[in-house]
Amino acid sequence: MPAPDWDVVVVGAGPAGASAALVLARAGRRVALVERGPFPGSKNMYGGVVYGRMLDDLVPRWWEQVPLQRWITRRQTMVLTAGQALSIDYRTDAWGREPYNGCTTFRPDFDGWLAGLAEEAGATLVCGTTVTGLRRDGAGRIDGVRTDRGDMGAGLVIACDGVNSFLAKEAGLHGGDDPDHVTLGVKEVLAFPRHVIDERFGVRGDDGVDIEILGCTGAVPGGGFVYTNAESVSVGVVLQLSALAASRLRPETFIADLKAHPALAPLVEGGDVKEYSAHLIPEGGYDHMPDIVGDGLLVAGDAAGLCLAAGIWLEGVNFAIGSGAAAGETAHEALAAGDTSTRGLKGYRRRLSSSFVLKDHRKLRRAPHFVLSDRVQNHYPQLACDLVEQLFTVENPRPKKGGIAAARAALRHSDLRLREIARDAWTALRTFT
Amino acid sequence: MNPMVAVVVVRDGELPAGADEAVAEAGGDALLAGTGTEAAAKDLVACRHARCAEIGPFAAGAWAQALAPLVAGIRVVVLPASPDGRDLAPRLAHALGRPLLAGATEVAADRVVLVRRGGLVSETHALDGPAVATLVPGVRGVEPVAEGATVEPVEAGLPSGTHDTTVVATVPPDPSTVELADARRIVAGGAGLGGPEPFALLEQVAVALGAAFGATRVASDVGWAPHDRYIGTTGVAVDPDLYVALGISGAVQHVTGLGQPDHVIAVNTDASAPMMAMADLAVVTDARALLRALADRLGVSDAGA
Amino acid sequence: MIGACLKWVERRPEVDPLTGDVGTDPRTSGASEADQAALEWALRLAEAWDDDVVAVTAGPAGAEAVLREALAAGAARAVRVDLPAGAPSEAVAAGLAGALPGADVVVCGDWSLDRGSGAVPAFVAAHLGAAQALGLVEIAPGEAGHVDAERRLDGGRRERVAAAAPMVLSVEGRLRLRRAPLEGVLAARDAAIAVRPGPPVPEHLPVRTAPYRPRARVLPAPRAASARERVLALSGALVDRTPPEQVVLDPEAAADRILAQLRAWGYLDR
Ligand SMILES: Cc1cc2nc3c(=O)[nH]c(=O)nc-3n(C[C@H](O)[C@H](O)[C@H](O)COP(=O)(O)OP(=O)(O)OC[C@H]3O[C@@H](n4cnc5c(N)ncnc54)[C@H](O)[C@@H]3O)c2cc1C
Ligand SMILES: Cc1cc2nc3c(=O)[nH]c(=O)nc-3n(C[C@H](O)[C@H](O)[C@H](O)COP(=O)(O)OP(=O)(O)OC[C@H]3O[C@@H](n4cnc5c(N)ncnc54)[C@H](O)[C@@H]3O)c2cc1C
Ligand SMILES: Nc1ncnc2c1ncn2[C@@H]1O[C@H](COP(=O)(O)O)[C@@H](O)[C@H]1O
Repeated sequence: MPAPDWDVVVVGAGPAGASAALVLARAGRRVALVERGPFPGSKNMYGGVVYGRMLDDLVPRWWEQVPLQRWITRRQTMVLTAGQALSIDYRTDAWGREPYNGCTTFRPDFDGWLAGLAEEAGATLVCGTTVTGLRRDGAGRIDGVRTDRGDMGAGLVIACDGVNSFLAKEAGLHGGDDPDHVTLGVKEVLAFPRHVIDERFGVRGDDGVDIEILGCTGAVPGGGFVYTNAESVSVGVVLQLSALAASRLRPETFIADLKAHPALAPLVEGGDVKEYSAHLIPEGGYDHMPDIVGDGLLVAGDAAGLCLAAGIWLEGVNFAIGSGAAAGETAHEALAAGDTSTRGLKGYRRRLSSSFVLKDHRKLRRAPHFVLSDRVQNHYPQLACDLVEQLFTVENPRPKKGGIAAARAALRHSDLRLREIARDAWTALRTFT
Repeated sequence: MNPMVAVVVVRDGELPAGADEAVAEAGGDALLAGTGTEAAAKDLVACRHARCAEIGPFAAGAWAQALAPLVAGIRVVVLPASPDGRDLAPRLAHALGRPLLAGATEVAADRVVLVRRGGLVSETHALDGPAVATLVPGVRGVEPVAEGATVEPVEAGLPSGTHDTTVVATVPPDPSTVELADARRIVAGGAGLGGPEPFALLEQVAVALGAAFGATRVASDVGWAPHDRYIGTTGVAVDPDLYVALGISGAVQHVTGLGQPDHVIAVNTDASAPMMAMADLAVVTDARALLRALADRLGVSDAGA
Repeated sequence: MIGACLKWVERRPEVDPLTGDVGTDPRTSGASEADQAALEWALRLAEAWDDDVVAVTAGPAGAEAVLREALAAGAARAVRVDLPAGAPSEAVAAGLAGALPGADVVVCGDWSLDRGSGAVPAFVAAHLGAAQALGLVEIAPGEAGHVDAERRLDGGRRERVAAAAPMVLSVEGRLRLRRAPLEGVLAARDAAIAVRPGPPVPEHLPVRTAPYRPRARVLPAPRAASARERVLALSGALVDRTPPEQVVLDPEAAADRILAQLRAWGYLDR
């Protein structure tokens, strides 16, 4: 049998694919990184924050070269009702210096940077080329891909083609689409001069803010976010797809509502819309992860459902990098061992399990369901805001209510039962700590 | 002596787009070349003095050599930036050994303002010597001169041995564009609609509003709308009562084909786009989503989007 | 030999509304639709006449990206004429013509996205002593070195022309460039590109650049009986004009606003 053109073909030059290609190229493998867009990141959208710990191993001192917008040195978690807002605001200097916790960056810049590192290491980046299917040999084993420019033979294929991966589906790994476990992310980028952002968000220099929001999506379960870039602000919402469809509302109306909320309007009003985009997110968490290993095939990143879009968590790039790198390592070992069958690739899941990727996912396995539940979405924001309102409203000369009395009053006002709250608190503790 | 002259290509007595404006910009002096030039000279409302050279069908290379001696003493030569003007101006500049300033919105003896980047940017150039310029049709309008033009035939010797294209036939406008050209209401889309599906919806929304649908050149170049649908200097010239522009930046070559609509509505995400400045109602919003919302309200099925 | 002239331009420029500065990005730069169509026509003519295509660009080193695209799609050779971006059309055309001596046909786009004058092809024809047929919508190749073509005039008219080599053609961007095969794309990545020095560039810088603003237009005097009516017509008072208004709305509200306005103007019932 003639040697295939490539040891590995990686499909999709997002963070998952670029990381896989980088690892393989460094290991001396002939690897092609195939991307349908005209350049990496050209069509990719996300909220805007990349958490850096995952890069420490792959790109030592990554913070010296990452295409930075701003370092996240302040993170707010905000709970909204129609007219109220309650935030937890955390700021630390530690995130503004080495080894930096995370930053905002634009996907075309970030994806281009990471794919560029893979190219420097010897990977062949082929843009403007769409993979249209898997190629199989006589025995039905995957031995390459078909593209709109012709076939590419490979010892192994790594599918990093993003959410709803059709390659994984074609390989029979996906159970099919489930709108209950997919969210739609929509985002606007609003242009502002640098100093306006500094003033409105209370930051200086390269420092920036990450605001995650609950209770801002009305009847549709979801969450919102506001991130600062160097000279723009990203505002977006993530919406559960099935509920969004049932609501018959357009996703952009949610952004408009969010921007008009009295707590956020002063931060974002007056900016020119530079960009509007929408993208699906696999929000299902560990319990809904598809099979990720096939005969001659590995699946990584969003394609493997490895994304964490659970309300105040909105992470996927770091999981994409982690799983992409793990897929690259697994592929290299399997090629060396001469076994790229499902069996020979088994180490992939083990590798993921022992890394933070699956650990986080297992830990937060209930998070999506929990955060998108009716109580967390609608009742708790109201309860929390009412409680704080009662505590802080000055009603002299009447005596202040004590904390307990205020809580009772707020609770009476809502439809919640103490037992439900206790159970949710326990879930939250187990899920998030 | 007038330091400027307009050179106008005439085909069977028909003037190109922007002929009068070029003549007005040149202060009323014109050199008409082609077939039926004297009749055409009478149609120019801004002309004071016309020289007419009957030199047959258009042939850029030969004409440049024939006409160069007739304008050699004149500091600035202006041609309309119509297709024929675009073709002849560089050849004339080359024959005269002068710089060409193509695509101007303003031409004076000492200064030329050019549009660049499809009408997004303007560049002002100082003229320190003789030059040839082309003026974008529709940028200035014309004021008729009171007295009729004096018309003077001139001889222009066509050189032998130049290698040119042969004109086989001139074809009148395609009947399929007439509907658009005569439409009283037009709903048009540009690059801001971002894809072929919105254009399918645009067509239906236009029908529901009793309007014809149009496009910009950019949108038809990428294939979202048929080529006979693009409006502007080089496309279909229209003159509706109502013009609704969705995702159109308002480049000079586009708006100069619009005529004088009574009412203009512009929709754009960029509040400072030139089209928004021209509009009676300028709406800052996403045109694609707006189109769906309009379709909903007008009972148009959303199947295409 | 058939030449194809391809310009490396920013396809989605961002213009600063205050200064008119144009932001460019190599990632979104490339050949325009028209230049891609030019390459496709060149390849088709070469196929019809069993000839080779030479792709040429005038520009800085980054411009070689468009040449690699052309090599991938089937051009036999590629030449870059070394000139700064924004060099005037005269210099560009002299450089391009110099790189294409003895070409039978040179195919260009009808106008470039950034300069947009459509002048380069005519200058190239002048340098090569070639016939020119510009702004073509259709080309029908005849026997080797001969084409029949249709081009757009103003006001929707068209013209049919016949041309013979040497000739320069410029085409509209309606023809799609073929999809380059994978081997072509991979081979083009490190194919050799000849570089020629460009002609000297005359120093003729604009004295000012700014965002485009329309010039005030002179309107023909209205034909009305009385002076008062003429003034009224000129002032626009006779048409039912609302004062210009700009609103920022979400799409749903915008649709309501627009339909209400159309009703107010009488274009819609109710
Ligand atoms: C609104 C929103 C906000 C988000 N915010 C954040 C955030 O702030 N922080 C964070 O860490 N994560 C965030 N995420 C999640 C994050 O964007 C994803 O998890 C991450 O991009 C996954 O990377 P990937 O490489 O797996 O897939 P992708 O980034 O989707 O890359 C897939 C690539 O494959 C290419 N491709 C697809 N099909 C083919 C094909 N057939 N042939 C060739 N190429 C193909 C695509 O063009 C693309 O380049 C957000 C997501 C959304 C939608
Ligand atoms: C010699 C010559 C002749 C020409 N002749 C013609 C001609 O006859 N007719 C013609 O039309 N053009 C002509 N052009 C081209 C012209 O210069 C412009 O390039 C073209 O008109 C621009 O088209 P556009 O407005 O669709 O695109 P763009 O200029 O790209 O504008 C798109 C607009 O959409 C907006 N937008 C983006 N996204 C959205 C959204 N989601 N919702 C709402 N708005 C959005 C943007 O802000 C922008 O204003 C000619 C050019 C030259 C050089
Ligand atoms: N720098 C350049 N390099 C190659 N071709 C060019 C260049 N400039 C212009 N052209 C060609 O000339 C055509 C018209 O350009 P322009 O005259 O600038 O409007 C373009 O579509 C190209 O085919």
